[in-house]
Amino acid sequence: MDEEKYYEFVDLYKNPDHKGKLKDFDFKTEEYSSSCGDVFTVYLKLENGKIKDATFEGNGCIISTISISKTCGDIIGKTPKEIQKMGLGEVKKIVGVDEISLSRIKCATIGLDTIKKALRNDSSE
Amino acid sequence: MVSFDVQRIREDFPILKSKVNGYPLVFLDNGATSQKPRQVIDGIKYFYENINANPMRSIHHLAEKATEAYVEAREKAAKFINASPEEIVFVKNTTEAINLVSFALPFKHGERVATTYLEHHSNILPWLKLKENGLNVDFVDIDENFDLDIDYYKEMPAETKLVTVAHESNVTGTVNDVKKICSLAHSSDTLCLVDAAQSAPHIKIDVKDMGADFLAFSGHKMLGPLGIGVLYINKNVAPKLRTFMTGGEMIKSVKINKVEYADMPSFFEAGTQNVEGAYGLGLAIDYLNNIGLNNIESYEKGLMAHLYQASKTINGIDVYSGRSKKNGAIFAFNSKTLHPHDIAYLLDKKGIAIRSGFHCAQPFIEDKLHLEGAARASMYFYNTKEEMDSFVNGLKEIQVEYG
Ligand SMILES: Cc1ncc(COP(=O)(O)O)c(C=O)c1O
Repeated sequence: MDEEKYYEFVDLYKNPDHKGKLKDFDFKTEEYSSSCGDVFTVYLKLENGKIKDATFEGNGCIISTISISKTCGDIIGKTPKEIQKMGLGEVKKIVGVDEISLSRIKCATIGLDTIKKALRNDSSE
Repeated sequence: MVSFDVQRIREDFPILKSKVNGYPLVFLDNGATSQKPRQVIDGIKYFYENINANPMRSIHHLAEKATEAYVEAREKAAKFINASPEEIVFVKNTTEAINLVSFALPFKHGERVATTYLEHHSNILPWLKLKENGLNVDFVDIDENFDLDIDYYKEMPAETKLVTVAHESNVTGTVNDVKKICSLAHSSDTLCLVDAAQSAPHIKIDVKDMGADFLAFSGHKMLGPLGIGVLYINKNVAPKLRTFMTGGEMIKSVKINKVEYADMPSFFEAGTQNVEGAYGLGLAIDYLNNIGLNNIESYEKGLMAHLYQASKTINGIDVYSGRSKKNGAIFAFNSKTLHPHDIAYLLDKKGIAIRSGFHCAQPFIEDKLHLEGAARASMYFYNTKEEMDSFVNGLKEIQVEYG
């Protein structure tokens, strides 16, 4: 039960990095987690085809909050294409866990899912 | 049973001896599903070793036994809520029961159904779906203590065809005065459906006294196996209903140009039924009767009083349950600092199982409690005061360590 690791970050949970609104952003989207009712919004700013800044708003459990916060940090400098290729494996590396139980996978990936959705939404224009 | 010996009762539930994360299991998620006594577990094994056949169809020895088992289970379910056997339809669960009514009641365009803000999604969505056919759905409001606005039922819009209400809320444990609601509904010629999913396991139900036209409950929340539930349909209402599912067993005669359907309750039981489940539910009912619903209710009252008293010493939580006029064995709360999922996760590390999230009641939690989720401990008669203390102490430790 590796997600214990997330719980080492309670202080970060109360004051997570990358939390807040971006004034100047290219992409923004909202995503719901149906089982817990969490709603997250992400803001992404692109420069020269790479993520220049990423932030999030919303409240969730420790796992989802730590995960979205660290994922926002991780994707800076990456291209949307690289981000679309990321999955649970990358999220585990970003947070530093090897295992996550079935019932918490959605918590762990909601950050990445929201970011991917934001990038997909607008890349269609 | 004269005195309530919880330790002896616990002996009947093998799973309660489990260890979880190195701690003795404290199972406080009974609102989701209850644990099963060995009388039910062994009974199901007995069924497959001694009784199994397709009931109602073949005429050999085993088919006869299976039919008897099924008929007897229906009689037990009927007696359990003071109905007659032909008023008992076996279904999968409460969800199927309510969906069945939503299909079977012939609504006309512009008619209305009054559900409430306290409902589980299973008593909201089947009605919202009928909006496509021109049905209007009203939501009866609740006050700050989660008690229903009873006055609504005194002056309902004339087109209200059905009032549908939970006997007990699965979020706050609020117990509604369904007898009064049924009687008010009837005085304006409106039918009344009672969702007894949370109440049937804990409160003695008498449908005649209550006056419900429909009453639904799930076997799995009251010691029975998964996949079996009951829909009571008052025999005076049944003739007005349309078929739900059609197929084998629910017919008298099938000619290509003329079908004659079977009488109640077979009318609503198409295809081979969950006989194992019905048999198991019958055994669960035997078990509950043996202890006595009244004893269960009063034991749980004591348990809840103990919990509410002890919970006063926990800092940093908000409690939502226990405020209504009548309350069941549900303790709903939130930490001021931690997400309900984190509370549930951290309690699980101490072997304590609770539920967290929307509890399939999003309109209630969002629009009325103004929350994004809640944590819920739901008790049953095999829980002990010591377990209430473990739960309270566990919460205190979590609040100190993480809060
Ligand atoms: C009040 C209420 N109604 C309906 C249901 C649905 O029961 P089931 O999932 O067994 O169909 C539940 C169960 O969670 C409930 O608590």
